[in-house]
Amino acid sequence: MSDALLQLRNAVIDGRVKELEALTSAALSAGLTPKEILDNGLVQGMQVVGSEFKEGKKFVPEVLFSARAMQVSLNILKPLLAQTGTKMVGKVVIGTVKGDLHDIGKNLVGMMMEGAGFEVVDLGRDVAPEKFVEVVRRENADILALSALLTTTMRAMDQTIKMLKEANVRDAVKVMVGGAPVTADFALKIGADSYGSTAADAAEIAKKLIHAS
Amino acid sequence: MRVNYQTNVTPRLRVLSEDQIEQIVYEAMDVLQQTGTRVYEEEALTLLRGAGCVIDGENLVHIPAWLIEASIQSAPSRVLLGGRDREKRIALEKNRIYFGTGSDCPFLTDPCTSERRRYTKEDIYRAAKITEALPQIDFHMSLGLTSDVPVGTYDRHQLLAMLRGTTKPLVITAIDREGLADQLEMACAVVGGVDEWRKLPLFAVYVEPTSPLDNSREAVEKLLFAAEKNIPLIYTPCPICGATGPATMAGNLVQGLAECLAGLVISQLKRKGAAVIIGGVMSILDMTTTVLSYGAPELPLLSAAMTNIAQYLGLPVFSTAGCSDAKTFDQQAAIESTLSIAFAALSGANLIHDVGYLESGLNGSYDMLVMSNEIISGVKRILCGVPVDAEHLALEAIRRVGPGGHYLMDEHTMKHFRNEFWVPELLDRSNWDTWQSRGGKTLKMRVHDKVLDLIEHYAPPPIPEKTERELEKIVARADEAHRAEEVTQP
Repeated sequence: MSDALLQLRNAVIDGRVKELEALTSAALSAGLTPKEILDNGLVQGMQVVGSEFKEGKKFVPEVLFSARAMQVSLNILKPLLAQTGTKMVGKVVIGTVKGDLHDIGKNLVGMMMEGAGFEVVDLGRDVAPEKFVEVVRRENADILALSALLTTTMRAMDQTIKMLKEANVRDAVKVMVGGAPVTADFALKIGADSYGSTAADAAEIAKKLIHAS
Repeated sequence: MRVNYQTNVTPRLRVLSEDQIEQIVYEAMDVLQQTGTRVYEEEALTLLRGAGCVIDGENLVHIPAWLIEASIQSAPSRVLLGGRDREKRIALEKNRIYFGTGSDCPFLTDPCTSERRRYTKEDIYRAAKITEALPQIDFHMSLGLTSDVPVGTYDRHQLLAMLRGTTKPLVITAIDREGLADQLEMACAVVGGVDEWRKLPLFAVYVEPTSPLDNSREAVEKLLFAAEKNIPLIYTPCPICGATGPATMAGNLVQGLAECLAGLVISQLKRKGAAVIIGGVMSILDMTTTVLSYGAPELPLLSAAMTNIAQYLGLPVFSTAGCSDAKTFDQQAAIESTLSIAFAALSGANLIHDVGYLESGLNGSYDMLVMSNEIISGVKRILCGVPVDAEHLALEAIRRVGPGGHYLMDEHTMKHFRNEFWVPELLDRSNWDTWQSRGGKTLKMRVHDKVLDLIEHYAPPPIPEKTERELEKIVARADEAHRAEEVTQP
């Protein structure tokens, strides 16, 4: 591995957000292609972070800083990757459903997904079903991720999926649901494609959904 | 004569010094004045603007220190609640402790099948019935969130089930302002009208600001209605250290207090003297699992610190204990429950809730509740302290028995052992052979036996038939109004 890639990889592992811009530019100047930087630098760094998290050696804030670091680099690489026709892992539209103002879980999932290389469109909280449908269509999203903390707002997930069907976009997008009161049974019942019980799970599941489609 | 003599009637616990408390209170004022808090409700914004708050944009409210101080001044330091049995009364005043359940857990472990499933109205009734039977549980919250009634009226159904199960004071939740109004009407039917309610309210309502520093429209609407209608209001956040609040304990206390005080100010602007109870569920985000931990030692530490602060301000406090991150009722549950119950009791908090929570607040457990009743009882023995006077120093008895004698049959023993010794009900002190001969049951099994026995055999005093019909009518009216909204139940 070249020095530039090794430095990028380590900076991602350590979550040194401020250094990523300069390191990415340096790697490009050294003649590395955007795809090499992504695959052999950033993604490899995040893989180390992911496995250390699973082993209990790294904690959530550290993972999030690593994800943010990767994001800084990706922002530079994205237009270059697009020129060469290289695709990102996928595009996720995410939000907390209508009536629910609790967004810490949704934020965690969004950041984890960015760390896994997804492009994330975050609609925030208290998002109406109509809004989800509109943005899924406009962004041509691969995945729609819905969050709820309250049992009383879970029904908005059901409503959102129904509205996707009515708008004829249900088949074009995979729907994931999550949040403390949500269960795999409930996900099945409302016709979601998948359910994640933790933020880290959600990123893994999103990847599987993309590969399956 | 003996001079300069001090007694310590009960053991004492203090987490923060007065100087530290003052600093935290000042910083909370600084947060409300400088950072501000978001309020998404028009009437409250009008009240706050009229009182001299600066409002940035549409809803970022900056509250001046004097207004906070005036609000602390006008809110009562003592709040009374009385159950359906009007003799079951609790006085929320400095250093008077009461334990109760939490509310609205989606899941329970079925007492017969051990299956983890969603709560039903019957389960809510059973929880209330168990509270009624447990002497150490002083107030009741629903424990579960019923899933077999219309979503838009679940709160009325739960109140009815709770009233059927227990005659003790209640803390309720409400889906919105209308749900709160219906429940007030139900309570008035129980206590005999609005005047009786004002003398001794049947319930306090739990309303939650969203950390950090957000007050939703629904929350503020309920707050305003509570202030207007003399409903004691618990306005308390759940700031999670490192996620929705600062990672440091002191910072979390500053933010949590600011969130309580914002609600206090709005309520006092609506009606001076409105009863507000501050506090909250204060704990950490477990940075491995991203769970809001109900068993972390930081929870009892923060809760006791918050109680110190509330007592300094002269406001009643809503605290947390008897809860756990364990998935099932096991050794972890017992450890975590004991730790938080002991600490909350020592701190002198008023409404100590969430007794019975497992799975970080997702599972409302009858077994945990029944075991915690025993823990509270034991902890209260410790809180009685060591009385030191001539009778208790027992010099006469010591002289009587003398070297080499025994106290088993001394009159002093006979006179005191029943009061001085705590007697467990579920904890077992028998020897191996006796324990074996009684079936060799673990604590878990003994607790569960008691749960099953209470469910099957305990009968709470019924609601008078006429009142019951009135209550059912109010619930049916709400169901009718919300019929159109029904969608798939979880």
